[in-house]
Amino acid sequence: MTDPTLLDRVTKDPGEAGEMRPRSVGARVRRLEDPRLLSGRARFTDDLEPRNCVHVAFRRSDHAHARILSVDVSEASAMPGVVAVCTAADLEGIVGPIRATSRMKDYFATSMHPLARDKVRYVGEPVVAVLAENRYLAEDALELINIEYDVLEPLVDPEAALADGAPLLHEEAPSNVIASRTFARGEIDAAMAEAEIRVSGRFRMRRKTPLAMENRACVAEWDAGRRALTLTSTTQIPGIVRDALAELLEMPGHSVRVVAPDVGGGFGGKGSLYGEEVALAALSRKLELPLKWTSDRLEDLISTSQGFDELVEAELGLTRDGAIMALNADVIGDIGAYSIYPWTGVMEPVQVVSFMPGPYRVPVYRGHVRAVSTCKAPTGPYRGVGRPISTFVMERLMDMAAERLGLDPVELRLRNLVRAEEFPYRVASGIVWDRSSFVESLEAACEAVDYAALRREQAVARAEGRLLGIGIATYAELTGIGSRISAAPGMPINTGTESATVRIDSTGAVTANFGIASHGQGLETTLAQVLADELGARLEDIRVLHGDSSLVAHGTGTYASRSAVLAGGAGTLSARAVKDKVLRVAAHLLEASVEDLVAHDGFVHVRGANRNVSFREIAKANYSDMGRLPKELREDLSSTKTYDPFFGTATAATHVAVVEVDPETYQVSLRRFLVAEDCGRIINPMIVDGQVHGAVAQGIGAALYEEVVYDATGQMVTASLADYVVPAAGEVPRIDIVHLEAELPSTVGGFRGMGEGGTIGAPAAIANALSDALSPFGVAVCDLPATPERIFRLIENAGKAKASA
Amino acid sequence: MKPAPFEYARPETVEEVLSILAEHGDEAKILAGGQSLVPLLNFRMLRPAILVDVNRVAALDFLEVDGDILRVGALTRHLSLELSDAVRTRLPVLRRAMEHVAHVAIRSRGTIGGSLSHADPAAELPMMARLLDARIHVRNSGGERVVDAADFFLAPLTTSLEPEDLVTEVRLSLPPQGSGWAFEEYAQRSGDFAFAAVSAVVEAPEGRIEDIRLAAMGVDETPVRLDAIEEELRGRVLDGRLVDGAVELARQSVNPNTDLKASAEHRRHLMGVLTRRVITQAVGRTGKAAA
Repeated sequence: MTDPTLLDRVTKDPGEAGEMRPRSVGARVRRLEDPRLLSGRARFTDDLEPRNCVHVAFRRSDHAHARILSVDVSEASAMPGVVAVCTAADLEGIVGPIRATSRMKDYFATSMHPLARDKVRYVGEPVVAVLAENRYLAEDALELINIEYDVLEPLVDPEAALADGAPLLHEEAPSNVIASRTFARGEIDAAMAEAEIRVSGRFRMRRKTPLAMENRACVAEWDAGRRALTLTSTTQIPGIVRDALAELLEMPGHSVRVVAPDVGGGFGGKGSLYGEEVALAALSRKLELPLKWTSDRLEDLISTSQGFDELVEAELGLTRDGAIMALNADVIGDIGAYSIYPWTGVMEPVQVVSFMPGPYRVPVYRGHVRAVSTCKAPTGPYRGVGRPISTFVMERLMDMAAERLGLDPVELRLRNLVRAEEFPYRVASGIVWDRSSFVESLEAACEAVDYAALRREQAVARAEGRLLGIGIATYAELTGIGSRISAAPGMPINTGTESATVRIDSTGAVTANFGIASHGQGLETTLAQVLADELGARLEDIRVLHGDSSLVAHGTGTYASRSAVLAGGAGTLSARAVKDKVLRVAAHLLEASVEDLVAHDGFVHVRGANRNVSFREIAKANYSDMGRLPKELREDLSSTKTYDPFFGTATAATHVAVVEVDPETYQVSLRRFLVAEDCGRIINPMIVDGQVHGAVAQGIGAALYEEVVYDATGQMVTASLADYVVPAAGEVPRIDIVHLEAELPSTVGGFRGMGEGGTIGAPAAIANALSDALSPFGVAVCDLPATPERIFRLIENAGKAKASA
Repeated sequence: MKPAPFEYARPETVEEVLSILAEHGDEAKILAGGQSLVPLLNFRMLRPAILVDVNRVAALDFLEVDGDILRVGALTRHLSLELSDAVRTRLPVLRRAMEHVAHVAIRSRGTIGGSLSHADPAAELPMMARLLDARIHVRNSGGERVVDAADFFLAPLTTSLEPEDLVTEVRLSLPPQGSGWAFEEYAQRSGDFAFAAVSAVVEAPEGRIEDIRLAAMGVDETPVRLDAIEEELRGRVLDGRLVDGAVELARQSVNPNTDLKASAEHRRHLMGVLTRRVITQAVGRTGKAAA
């Protein structure tokens, strides 16, 4: 249900005092966290250096797949400056393996030991931890460790790992497939046979790494006196890590605190529980020492969770009029060596099939997915999760169908997008779309780029021998999902709620505690904006606290485009309850009735009278000045509320990419990029723009540059930023943005999540633009990233095919 | 990614540097800009016993025109070359090449002596050394010798330098005023190592090519001079057939590698495209004053 009070407030007659005040929500408020971040005064995990801190370095596996025969640490242990050298044996009995369980049928939960036991399953897996006076000495000692391995056959190609007789990565599992699932609606074979037009392809998106600017790090501090543990970590999910550590270490939650201080980006890579966090926590408690580990870029590249590694065979059937009849997709997801906690390795590939039908009417659908384990770093959530691939595949199929039908790609989309009157629309995979700007975003994007003029420009360019291409991608995603839907299939933890405590203290200042963990999103600003409006307080009177498991009873963090919706909702509900209390006190002090009061800028005013009282005076009267309030009116000016958006909401957008390819060198330049998006009510347009820019940049990376490459032996050959290339400022064009608000969703506040959309739409739009540009060669882009070598091969092979024809 | 332990010396004169190098031989490594060396140390791919930091050797930091020679001290930073008036007016091809050397932060540290000594086959300065017939002054405790760029680069990351040698100066020959020039590079991103690059300087005052120098990089074990093409073009007036012939020769005369980013076939293709562009542009620029 749309929350009536909030909507009323913006639409109400603005003639009344108070409602005239400029609202904070909707304003380009400068980010409150930026002064400290930009002036070097932020505090990141690596800035923490407890007294007598011991530094940890990990000896990691050099092999993709091997049995550990023996580990000899005697020489390393004897090295001056080394405090301890620990292996799996040292963790035996004090901490068990990490297992991501799920209620999903026939799912196999892998056991990941914080330090490898018996076997290693990917290059980079931690085997031994060296604890030394500093990181230099720790790394020196790593070289003195002798590990004897029995090298086993590596599993690198996911299709080969599926084959009968493939060696098992986890011997206790029935096969290398940790889960498979099928979504089906209607009779696919019959519908496909009936389709007048069929287009199909084999699509590949290559493995990416999230590549946050700040590498992963953690500091574990065991307080022996209080028998309590504090883990400071570069995590997006302090609450989940706290709950997991409490369970793994068999400690009560009040004695485990997980703090995420300033965190320099995550993109999903800091959204899972890591063996290093568990190892440091367990060893800090065991040895009663403060331990610190800061990964370097090499460790980050080989061991942070990766994403987007799927092979998709898909077919789309349509009528001659261009109406979609059926979609059939087979997905193989390469999840790497372990099923990551808490999401499982199944989340990403399952999302590919869940979202494959996209924002279109697809009456008959079959989507089959298999999640396969291989000898690579585990995959985990990465900005966009599954939808960059599903959108890439579906949008390529739409363009291929448009070409076959002789229809403009925009026209074909308009014929198939779910229309306004059809919402709520139930997707064949079970997802329900609430109303969002499906058609509107496509129309707005076309208008903003002047699509007809662009096509004319393209015709002129082609006549001159230039390769200009236009690509469109329209997609929808679920954001701010509540408890109705699990963030990952069958996951036993609740990610559908968030709590907030809003409190006015005895000085009149507002503190708001949240369970989310902002790590670049500017949530300290946007949540303060929401609270300022709800309370009638000034932004500077509000401090937003987050990233600390001790702030709320339960909270899971910042991921899945949820924080504005869930924390914004919880904060709104708490703030309203607090404001009710504030007004009751103010009514007494001002000798007015509550109905006549309005609050803004930290004051409560009597409507139509020149009387007011500040939050500060209200707090003083309530807490400190005995006698100003009757006893029964005194109460704690605080409230804790939990918000559950239950279904969540759909966010939709259309991306347009214009590329030009040099007809001789085949170098790709991105000439234009435009996003028309609907994220509901916008809290801060500047922050929304920033999220779009950053996510589109990552989508450009997925489309053209970024690829984690493992060779045939399972060695990662892109383990430095010279080899793993990301778009830098020079490779990202200006990004134009059109904001739409077709109809506000039923979330508290009317917000939709929007942090991931750029990554979802950009790869598809660029792949379509490239295919359009290269159409004179008769080639189509089905394998991303479309690196220079892939484009060269496509064109050369087409030329050879033509020559031999 | 912390380096293995090493000793550190920071001499202030060339003589001190040479004596430390003489003492430690191949156990020593010279630290100049550190843009290639420091990552190699941090990956522990290099483990010198002693680092000889030459950044305080003021005598190695100079840049001056001496007749038709540009004298460049070994410690001259890439950015100094890029921003130098002499380079802008007399060697626009070098200025353009410098813009392709990584990014500003790296160019403000990297040095010409370091780049030549490191000898990456896809680095711009070694290629410019070949194009501009550099004479590389090398000293050791035994004395000084001058090595032609043609004899300096032996293989990827391998030069004719001995462990106790120090590059002190690089002399580049300045083309006559009014010479044409061109530099074309293909890299995946701006600032990346090139898949291929080709450069030229040409004298063709009346449309007839009197002299031409052509060099390429990224397409062979070392940067190369395209002597055979120069030979073909010298004394001729450029026409389509001549260019086609040069392009074909360029494609055949190099031996590119296949690596993670590009196949040999791809680099050979680029070699042809870039050669065509460079020859055409360079001849077209003949007689025009530098920007």
